[in-house]
Amino acid sequence: MYSIIVVPPPTTEDGPDHRPQLRLAPGERLAFGRSVPAGGLTVPHEGVSRRAGEITAHGAFWTLSNLSRRQTYVVENPEGAGEHIKVAPGRLDAPVPFEFSRIVLPAAGELLPVEVWAPRHDYLRTGDGDEGADGDGAAGRRDGEPTAPAFSLDRTKRYFAVLAALCEPRLRGAPHAPLPTVDQVVERLRPAWPAASRTSVQWNIDYLAVKLRLKPGPETADPGPRLNGKKESLVSLALRFDLVREDDLLVLAEPSRRALR
Amino acid sequence: MNEPYAVPVPRGYRVGDWEVREPIATGAFGSVYAARRAGDAGGASPAGATDGADAPASVALKFLPTGTGTPRYLAHLRELAEREVRLLRRLRRPRLVRMYETLTVDDPGEPRLDGATVLVLERAAGSLSGLLAADPRPASGPLLLAQVCEGLAQLHRAGWVHGDLKPGNVLLMADGSARLADFNMAAELEGTHAYTPAFSTPDYTPPELLWSEIGERGRQTRPSADVWAFGILAHLVLAGSLPLPGGTPAARRDAAVAYARGTDELRLSPELPEEWREIVRACLTRTHTGRIGTEALLRRVAQVTAAPVDGRRLWWRSAAFLRARRGKGHRVLAAAAATAAVAALAYGVAGPTGAGPDRHGGGGPGAGGSSAGTPAVAAASYGAAELRTDRGVPPAYRLLIVETAHDCADAHVTPALIAAMLKVESDFDPDLADPARDEYGIARWTPRVLRWWMNEDGTPGETVPEPPFPPAESIPAMGRYLCWIAPRLDDGLPGDRRVLIAAAYRTSYRTVNDAAGVPPQYRDYADRVAHYLKEYTPAGRT
Repeated sequence: MYSIIVVPPPTTEDGPDHRPQLRLAPGERLAFGRSVPAGGLTVPHEGVSRRAGEITAHGAFWTLSNLSRRQTYVVENPEGAGEHIKVAPGRLDAPVPFEFSRIVLPAAGELLPVEVWAPRHDYLRTGDGDEGADGDGAAGRRDGEPTAPAFSLDRTKRYFAVLAALCEPRLRGAPHAPLPTVDQVVERLRPAWPAASRTSVQWNIDYLAVKLRLKPGPETADPGPRLNGKKESLVSLALRFDLVREDDLLVLAEPSRRALR
Repeated sequence: MNEPYAVPVPRGYRVGDWEVREPIATGAFGSVYAARRAGDAGGASPAGATDGADAPASVALKFLPTGTGTPRYLAHLRELAEREVRLLRRLRRPRLVRMYETLTVDDPGEPRLDGATVLVLERAAGSLSGLLAADPRPASGPLLLAQVCEGLAQLHRAGWVHGDLKPGNVLLMADGSARLADFNMAAELEGTHAYTPAFSTPDYTPPELLWSEIGERGRQTRPSADVWAFGILAHLVLAGSLPLPGGTPAARRDAAVAYARGTDELRLSPELPEEWREIVRACLTRTHTGRIGTEALLRRVAQVTAAPVDGRRLWWRSAAFLRARRGKGHRVLAAAAATAAVAALAYGVAGPTGAGPDRHGGGGPGAGGSSAGTPAVAAASYGAAELRTDRGVPPAYRLLIVETAHDCADAHVTPALIAAMLKVESDFDPDLADPARDEYGIARWTPRVLRWWMNEDGTPGETVPEPPFPPAESIPAMGRYLCWIAPRLDDGLPGDRRVLIAAAYRTSYRTVNDAAGVPPQYRDYADRVAHYLKEYTPAGRT
């Protein structure tokens, strides 16, 4: 029942695809620093305070306490075009609103990124807002609280573009079309996302599996990145619950062409 | 965060034999309209029609936008519609809303409706969420919860999980009884679990399903998910608040997770009646494995709603009831008490949808002093399963009679017995005054005897009370006395034990025991009670 995921800074021991993830349930705290008690996240770098800070998970968001004496921490939204917040030294429990965040710890000239994901963010489903407004008058009041879908996707995020690219062949009318490979997805996304790479697409596929709480298939027992099963499950879940519809394929278009429509 | 898929249908639109009237409600997956039988068919073709001809003249039509031409064409809506139809075709149970037939709209001229699935359903008077909006702690709460629990048991016995139990999905019929509806999330059990679409209402979702993993068939659920939802619902109805703290669904979801992880305790509202606390706790366990089973839940709910242990504060004598009893004149009190529960119902129904008077059909006999139509109808049929509605028991007293009988754990103290005794004692005259015999009111209480039974906590009154004795005092006091008599009569006395109890009320239990039956001078009285007892008992009961 975790709601927040912390990905520590990369170390030389981790392979490129295998950074550990720490999962926090609402109310759980994670201390980080050069020398923290057991259960905390150790950041073994001379420039980091012994007790540098603390992350507290809530349901959809998390808070950051800056326990250092001098350093300001910056929390960036990596998909937010420079959007960030600053957490001054000594500030306790500053709430962080981003779905993806990168805490940048300044450490003797180096910047150490700690990633924090908040996959429980809720979003209005596109189009539902206006339609509901019409519907109130036309078709009677809503009775009680709404029955909500279990998934909530932000259609402006890159993960949504990746999911759309994966679903595209089947949405375009070929229900049994083979899924695009990661390289094909990179190519497909390049017009709208010039910096797309194999690694970033892979990362988004992994994130989607977490976000959509995909049940790990039998292949997870295998070591090694066997992603076909994961991609297949993502696409069938997305199509089954209409998480991506044909009109969503617009996110794959180039920004300039998108503006023209 | 997810707005309903409204399906606008113009008034007067024809579907099969039905003509659409006013909208009733819009849920997550479709819209419900009132409809009436129009006569000649047209506009739609029966699709697997069952028994549309059996349907009454007024029904509810549920439109599910499954057509290929609807702008909201969504594959999963089709699946959700199929679930509901599959369940309703197979299951017909007293506590589940009844479906008469299904239709498919065939109307290329209306692309938004063409292809829509239409469920022709029994027409409800309102929903529990409407009732709660009008009255956060309705006096009829325990009774409705007992019926909801029966519905869950009927569903689970048939091998289905409801999956979305909440106030909006509990319908209230014109007689005030509850039925479960909205089976879009319902799933048929495969062994111990079932697969349900990945939708839920967060406040009613058990913590183990909140962020559960989702496989390609949807997510696994179990009957215990409905039991959790019942615990939430019971707390809401009886205490007026949700059990988990927080101002928003997201905050309550976090609280549910914290509770399930063991980092927080369950703190039930002090407003929750004592006898329900353990039941709610048994439903709201941290994990599904510790949760009470549906059959055991049903038994415990039946115990507290039908026969609470004496000496406790009983549900229908709620604070509001007592205030009304103390604050107002005596004459109309019984009527007020009897209609309190159902008046709230009527409000919840008629208010938000703006229904016209035609909705309540023929109406019924006025409920002592009440001018509104629906309270009379509902009061007139209150407890119909135990007390016949067509033998002249005044509707105004039905709630008092039925609930007084339910307050007594002794199986012989029944609504029909109390009604028969009131009939014989006073012919239901609340104003009876017989100074010659020193007996007053509907139950012919003698003031110095009433003193011993007037207080619900069992303590005698400080002084001998003075008439008038309104029904709201007389009838519960009578129930307490009968309940005290019942176990004191010797075993093995000849004749109907209920009639013996009545005779003991007239004389004393000692006199009846000494006479080894009804004493001769009370035979006439006993015979008349026996006559009305039979008269008021519904067929199939004894």
